[in-house]
Amino acid sequence: MYAEHFSEPATSHVASAPIEHQFYPYASNGGTILAIAGADYALLAGDTRHITGYSINTRFRPSIHTLENLGGPERAIVVAANGFSADGDALVRRLAQRAEWYTYNHNKPLSVSACARLVQTMLYGKRTFPYYVHTIVAGLDESGRGEVYSFDPVGSYEREQCRAGGSAASLLMPFLDNQVNKKNQYDAATGLPQVATDLPLEETLKLVKDAFSSVTERHIHVGDYLEIKIVTKEGVKVEYFPLKRD
Amino acid sequence: MFLTRSEYDRGVSTFSPEGRLFQVEYAIEAIKLGSTAIGVATAEGVILGVEKRATSVLLESSSIEKIVEIDRHIGAAMSGLTADARTMIDHARVESQNHRLTFDESMKVESVTQSVCDLALRFGEGADGEESVMSRPFGVALLIAGVDENGPQLYHADPSGTFYRYDAKAIGSGSEGAQAELQNEYHSSLTLAEAEQLVLKTLKQVMEEKLDAKNVQLSSVTPEQGFRIYSDDEMKAVVERLEGSEVPLV
Repeated sequence: MYAEHFSEPATSHVASAPIEHQFYPYASNGGTILAIAGADYALLAGDTRHITGYSINTRFRPSIHTLENLGGPERAIVVAANGFSADGDALVRRLAQRAEWYTYNHNKPLSVSACARLVQTMLYGKRTFPYYVHTIVAGLDESGRGEVYSFDPVGSYEREQCRAGGSAASLLMPFLDNQVNKKNQYDAATGLPQVATDLPLEETLKLVKDAFSSVTERHIHVGDYLEIKIVTKEGVKVEYFPLKRD
Repeated sequence: MFLTRSEYDRGVSTFSPEGRLFQVEYAIEAIKLGSTAIGVATAEGVILGVEKRATSVLLESSSIEKIVEIDRHIGAAMSGLTADARTMIDHARVESQNHRLTFDESMKVESVTQSVCDLALRFGEGADGEESVMSRPFGVALLIAGVDENGPQLYHADPSGTFYRYDAKAIGSGSEGAQAELQNEYHSSLTLAEAEQLVLKTLKQVMEEKLDAKNVQLSSVTPEQGFRIYSDDEMKAVVERLEGSEVPLV
């Protein structure tokens, strides 16, 4: 009686639902970076944890790169591109090559400001298929003052006193606004807003270590070790600091 | 048959057995037919001066353009086949602007000069399958003057693609006499005003016509004002000053 309802040829179902093919070219590899500029130093720090999803791929993958430069070790530029680490690596390697070409062509050190503009050019050059990264460039200017430049994935950039990027940027940045730029802090005696001043390096290092220790407690993408690269007139110094591994 | 140069001056990129590229050498000769151009570099800035040779009394002398701006901090004076200079100047302008765009800084004078010279040897048949842009070498030489972080500088670029930096340099038909004069008169403590007078005086000596405010043109590149071509009024003033300073012949 109902036979005709069940006697449809089986083949008619095959093409009725389209087969989906998807390729998502991006991934997120966690981690957080942080840069602070001072009167005679610039520092760029980041944790060394590398993740996908809930998995830790490795506990030690340093992500702060040094671009050697003409004009001595004090002209070195430190750079980190956090987010999708394959894109970050590609960007940093291409940047290192462009920086080297620059010194060959113009026989002078690449300044941090010129490097920043170059990074913008490179990021915007991939406007339609961006490098999925938050980039920070830091170093010293001609007079030896610290400089920090931060970028969005398509190259919009700004010079700043300090900037956090990556997974826990939203946790770090308000802390930095308060502690480095003295936002919402008032002088007890006069009641006037406090003015941001250059922090001494020792104080900044304590601040950075505390910030990362705290952020490690609150964010699962951050942890294992903290790598800090400090550019001073002596050159680039690297420090490692243990973070919680859970 | 031409006895002097044999068959090796036919192909533009063929070496002669003595190791010479005749077409490049002829191109350098072509510059010696051009009007004289002089550049003098001082600690205060660089002065470029050119002779504007009027081929007719009906020619509007302001239409002769032999000093051009490359960027706000670099200018160039030319001698030879001036039409060829357009390619070089256009290239230099694009390179200089590109450098600003990419690096947020002005391009060094030496780098601009290098980029112009990179063009010089792109003539001939080209490599296998690769089209070459030009059929012959440039017939023009440039004096490139500019100011950058290394101070005021003057470069001379010729059709062979070589460039040198000079304190003072003359090119064109009167270059031999002018260069000798510059050699005698140049010293490292010249002021910009003295360099102005030296350029004019030297041009005056080697020019066939009598020098006036219309048949020469001056420009300066200084750290303060960058590249600047002298206005008619300024030209009149400097030429008057030159005449005033000179001892009249009895």
